[in-house]
Amino acid sequence: MNVEISDPRFDPEPSGWASFVGSHGLHPVWRYPLMRLEAWTARNPPVLAVVREHGRVVGGLQVMVCRSWRTGRFGPPAPRLARWRPRWAEVYLPLHSGYPAAAFHPDADARAAVREFERALVRWAGPGLLGVLYRAMTADLAGAMAGPGRPCREIDPAAVLNPPATFEAWRAHLDDDVRATIDAIDADPEVCTDVGAGRSDLDPTELAALLNAHRARQDARAWAGGQRSRFAGLHLDTRSPVSPAYLESLLRRSNVLTRTYRTPAGRLLGFSTMINDRAAAAFHHWAALPKADGGVPGLHRHAYAQAVAKAVERRATTLTAGRAMLEEKAALGFRDVRELHTVAAPRPLLGDRRGPQAAPPRETPQRTTTPARTGRTT
Amino acid sequence: MWNSLAFRLWRAAYLRAVSSAFATVPLYRETWALRGRTDPVLVPGKTGTGGGALPADEVHRRLVDTAPLAGGSTEPDPARGLAGLLGHATERRSHRLVVVVDSDVARPPTGLPRGSRGCVLHPDAATAAGDEPVLREIVDTLRRGERVLAVGEAKNLDMLSAELPAELPPPDRVPHHRIDRPGGGPFGLLHDPLLGYLGVLRECGRLHVDRRHVYVRETPGGLAFTVLDRTSPRLVDVLIGGGVPGEVHACPKHASPVIDT
Repeated sequence: MNVEISDPRFDPEPSGWASFVGSHGLHPVWRYPLMRLEAWTARNPPVLAVVREHGRVVGGLQVMVCRSWRTGRFGPPAPRLARWRPRWAEVYLPLHSGYPAAAFHPDADARAAVREFERALVRWAGPGLLGVLYRAMTADLAGAMAGPGRPCREIDPAAVLNPPATFEAWRAHLDDDVRATIDAIDADPEVCTDVGAGRSDLDPTELAALLNAHRARQDARAWAGGQRSRFAGLHLDTRSPVSPAYLESLLRRSNVLTRTYRTPAGRLLGFSTMINDRAAAAFHHWAALPKADGGVPGLHRHAYAQAVAKAVERRATTLTAGRAMLEEKAALGFRDVRELHTVAAPRPLLGDRRGPQAAPPRETPQRTTTPARTGRTT
Repeated sequence: MWNSLAFRLWRAAYLRAVSSAFATVPLYRETWALRGRTDPVLVPGKTGTGGGALPADEVHRRLVDTAPLAGGSTEPDPARGLAGLLGHATERRSHRLVVVVDSDVARPPTGLPRGSRGCVLHPDAATAAGDEPVLREIVDTLRRGERVLAVGEAKNLDMLSAELPAELPPPDRVPHHRIDRPGGGPFGLLHDPLLGYLGVLRECGRLHVDRRHVYVRETPGGLAFTVLDRTSPRLVDVLIGGGVPGEVHACPKHASPVIDT
């Protein structure tokens, strides 16, 4: 087993990667061209570690090599001297944080692959690497990453819905006020909505500006509410604003549904994106204007309802809806959760082959099935 | 180019602006990393189109991406740079009141010489004689025998002059020039609603670039302007007036950079 690490900004796509992504049903965030766009416009650019066995791709990990939480600079190309600078790595999908940034073939030895990855990362990143943080890992992946001296803790879970056979069955389980909000948006002449897959008719700058403002508002609210440990919050954030180029490329993909909400005059009120895969659909992005700026309260409920309708129509096995506002999502029927774990591997232990994990993560009572060992379908 | 040390310093300031914009400003990061640029090339093998310069309307549409990652204003200042150019724009060294008559300028110019005050007059308001506070201020200043300088499009300055009482001395005036609509001398200021004041028409009849604050570069798309001293919104290599072809060279009289379009 060997691991090759590619910087999407400069390196060509690893051979066999595209077919691995396709055959394992990985979401578009794993597509190399999208990773390249993301890497060029990120403060902590992701790199791709491809695990091979006898030359065949059996797994992959997306890794952000981070320099700081608060840097105001985009990631520089890695010069030789920077190898001594203190850095840490996060195995994390910054724009899809409810899913693990590691995917392995079901027959691959994930523990051996992870340790091989760590050794390759140490060689690639240099002496300045302080350790690796595996964020938002499913229980089985966290088990492969944990071990003696590697702290493991449970983090906010991802909300999951197993779509019922009909949309009406889902609707019947909603509270009256949720149904009323959805119906009110449907009947509101001041709200116009449209949806489509592979869209090229939208202005990505307009959408990205709304999305970044929405994320900033959410994170500020979480911070003000005392959520100091929220790693995805702006104050301890290794992520970057979503760039229009990335969003444009994502929206053009045929399995990405984009719904916009506008006033009759054309002012953008909100938008959502949904990865409309049959095996594992995901409510991906949501952004809306705040009420103070003319936004419409409850618009997100309508967007979720439409996403559920699409998932039912597509007969998707699961529909996930991210890690924030779980109570609100439970009110929309997303009552199952997928437990997620973060594992920290300090530098001295990277590549360490020793024993089973010290504290195995608890089994998730309501877990759903996964095609590959990624946990990404729930 | 004019004396080589001055040129090198000017060029170095531009290269710093490019480097900083590429490292910190989303618009330029995305444009130059994905499409490329020239002079300098930042990503080997990517030279882009038009040398990496962006049309002003595209920059205006993406103003939200012209603030650095660390944060900053995204509001352009159309009156930027006026104070530094007034010394070359008129024969008088100072005026009690500097009035900008332009619909694009919403805030008064800053950094004026001591003793001068700046204000803004919307061209539509210039016709509301008597009711407009700025107009009353102009009249009062002229009545006290103090000097007033009016800056703006020639037609707006004419409108202002027509509204003032005939018995008062007329204000001094410096017209705006647009790069795609150059006017005649003897005075004038090169103005763009997005970038502010970029240069001045001096007595030699040439359009001098405000070299302390502005850099100009010849690109295939036309003359590209960079505001050197304002970091947010960061405006680098902007094609104003739809991209006007031209040349940058040294003024034989003043030995400073001038543009020919």
